[in-house]
Amino acid sequence: MTKVLEVRNLVKEFPGVKALQGVDLDVHAAEVHCLLGPNGAGKSTLIKCVSGAVEPTSGEILFLGEPLPHGDPAGSLKRGVATIYQELDLVPDLSVAESIFLAHEPRRWPLLDLDKMYRESSALLARLGHDSIPVRAKVGRLRPAAQQIVSIARALSGNVRLLIMDEPSAILDEAEISTLFDVVRRLTGEGVGVVYISHRLDEIRRIGDRVTVLADGRTTASGLPATTPTDQLVEFMVGRKVDQLYPDRPVGTDRVLLEVRDVKRLPAVRGVSLQVHAGEVVGLGGLVGSGRTELLHLIYGLDHPEEGEVMVEGKPLRSTPRHAISQGLGLAPEDRKSQALLLDWSTTKNVTITDLNRFSRVLLDVRKERERAREQLRALNTVPDDPDRVVRLLSGGNQQKVVLARWLLHECRVLLLDEPTRGVDIATKAEIYRIIADLAKSGFGVLVVSSELEELVHICTRILVMREGEIVAEVDGSDATERELLRHAVAPTDAPVLAEEVV
Amino acid sequence: MTTPAQTSEPGRGAAFAGRVKALELQEYALAIVVVLLFVVGAILKPDTFPTVDNVRNMLTQASVVGVLAIGMTFVIATAGIDLSVGSIVAAAGVFGGILVGDNGTSTLLFIAGAVGFALLLGTVNATAIAYGRVVPFIATLAMFSIARGLALLLNDQLPVSLLDLNGGSFGNPRVFSLLWFGNGRVFGIPASVYVFIAIAIAGWIVLNRTRYGRYVVAVGGNREAARIAGVPVRRIIFSVYVLSGLLAGVATVLLCARLGSASPVSGNLYELDAIGAVVIGGTSLAGGRATIVGTFLGVLTFALIFSLMTQLNLSTEVQQVTKGLIVLGAVLLQRPEARY
Repeated sequence: MTKVLEVRNLVKEFPGVKALQGVDLDVHAAEVHCLLGPNGAGKSTLIKCVSGAVEPTSGEILFLGEPLPHGDPAGSLKRGVATIYQELDLVPDLSVAESIFLAHEPRRWPLLDLDKMYRESSALLARLGHDSIPVRAKVGRLRPAAQQIVSIARALSGNVRLLIMDEPSAILDEAEISTLFDVVRRLTGEGVGVVYISHRLDEIRRIGDRVTVLADGRTTASGLPATTPTDQLVEFMVGRKVDQLYPDRPVGTDRVLLEVRDVKRLPAVRGVSLQVHAGEVVGLGGLVGSGRTELLHLIYGLDHPEEGEVMVEGKPLRSTPRHAISQGLGLAPEDRKSQALLLDWSTTKNVTITDLNRFSRVLLDVRKERERAREQLRALNTVPDDPDRVVRLLSGGNQQKVVLARWLLHECRVLLLDEPTRGVDIATKAEIYRIIADLAKSGFGVLVVSSELEELVHICTRILVMREGEIVAEVDGSDATERELLRHAVAPTDAPVLAEEVV
Repeated sequence: MTTPAQTSEPGRGAAFAGRVKALELQEYALAIVVVLLFVVGAILKPDTFPTVDNVRNMLTQASVVGVLAIGMTFVIATAGIDLSVGSIVAAAGVFGGILVGDNGTSTLLFIAGAVGFALLLGTVNATAIAYGRVVPFIATLAMFSIARGLALLLNDQLPVSLLDLNGGSFGNPRVFSLLWFGNGRVFGIPASVYVFIAIAIAGWIVLNRTRYGRYVVAVGGNREAARIAGVPVRRIIFSVYVLSGLLAGVATVLLCARLGSASPVSGNLYELDAIGAVVIGGTSLAGGRATIVGTFLGVLTFALIFSLMTQLNLSTEVQQVTKGLIVLGAVLLQRPEARY
């Protein structure tokens, strides 16, 4: 079998940090090679070395047997290495065709050859099985899954031999992921080698051929079959056994903490009622775009409902975040970096921002502030618990803990969690599940939005499924199965999941 | 934004690099610049530069822009800008002068009129930006023109003399009279310098040691995150433009007190001096990072450079080009890549 990519003993040192300390990786043609490892293991640095975005300190990168020039993104691209990053880097106002050919537009000097651009874009999308995406539409108007396919088409507009995908599924829901996998299989069928990074072990089994595990900048397991049991993979990742991924399921009480009555804001939310009891973890499942995040925003007062009301312990909320917070609500939003954190601030300031009154007479008591922040960070086992650490430098999981610490300090009673474990490695996921369960046990009401059905099935007391802005099903956590949730999320009957319909 | 090591893969070795220290470094660097400039001045002009008179002069002149720069630091901390402060200084001075009138002699009335009018104009900015959702650059650019126009209209383009206000003459004004704020001294230091330093210290405390200051920087750092964390974003944005107007009023009083008159063409381009001082001090124009110490040192740096250039007989045109180049250089150094 031809080797597309060989990485030998790759080292990358940043000032004060050894991000890679001797990594090996082999990728064959026509295979999906999964790259697994906790946050901070060096996955991103590794792929950036291959794509040329980062220049390695030492080591070898062979592409089709030839050494790849170091730190030369254009050179890597020209030889056929294409990378799709986690955050889609598309310009929303460009058309699909313009996005696909951005920076290498076909020209009939000096004008753009639009006909050729549209024609070739259609051909590329057809090659991916998605010729239904309109090439003249603005990219910003497409759903995330379709945007991702545009990104892949852009990668393919060159002569790609190796496609690197960094957590492509993070922003997709189950049905959209199936679509993505179809595309990946088409590519491997054409002989392209794929490097696939994901934190989701179930995906690796579905799409992967082989797995390489990184931990602390080293390769801890190389080229394992994708069928390797979970326990073993986790052990390679964290260097020890994780005793229990999911804690015991919390049992609710009768006390209603949060009540949502007929809340409506078109088009996303079309009349939703729900209750969250003390001690409960209530899951909110459904496809991306079914109105889950919008519902959380309405509850929290970030948007005003057109109709209906939200009550905490019988008291109606005035629909502003400040009032919601004062009544005991807390929100850990979907996108930590843009919606929850001040990335250049210390952990302390990020933890205390909601609760500065506690430390403020006329002046702030900064010493007490640091101490209390540190206590909360320690309680959540945040690493490091350094109260002066810049939040930007923490891993995704630890950033999430900083957000949770904020709400624990505030002593809120109802937590709204939007995708709480997105981009979080498996060991930290287990910790976050444990934190959620402990909070519920201590009397919190928790409402969790998640696209990971497996997660909902295991941690929730009850699960509500949303579809097109309404709650269409309520399932008891202990009876729920992923298949059942997906069926409710997608269609009223047992109609098969049509990938094309989702795009 | 930053290099990959910092965004995604911190690792354990970064323990020191990753702590909140970046600001202090820039402040030290600027303090060294201030000292160096003074030394260079002392070497080039040993007879006239390092003298008590010259230092006193520099500080007096710096105090007007200095007070504006403290207000500007709060505005820029929220990722805003206030282009109108120079024009507001002119309009507020003329308004105060007219309010006192030909025969009045009340210093207090002048101060109340000038500060009140500046506060009013600042509140117009604040309302347009926080509640009318006008981009700060445009709202304050409009006020830049409006206030200058008002300054010229109010007294038919003529300056208003303030020499008759009670408290005596230029020579030895009475304590707390208007002219005293411009020319009076306590322990040999001009009164206006005390005002500037007091406002700078108050500014530092508010920005670093109060809930309000924390909110101001949060709004500039990440508006959406601040809102979700419960910060009253709109009120904070409103407040910084009111504050900037208020401090423009204080600057008006200092300026008019020094000149003994209120001129409709005074305060020209003071906003650029203030913004320049804030930026070379290390406050980020993108918001979220603000330093009063830096602003203070930035004001001193400008004062030293222009005093030195004046003594070297360089024309004001050359000084303007230099000023622009310094600000440009400071902003280039601030690019995100160079942040750590």
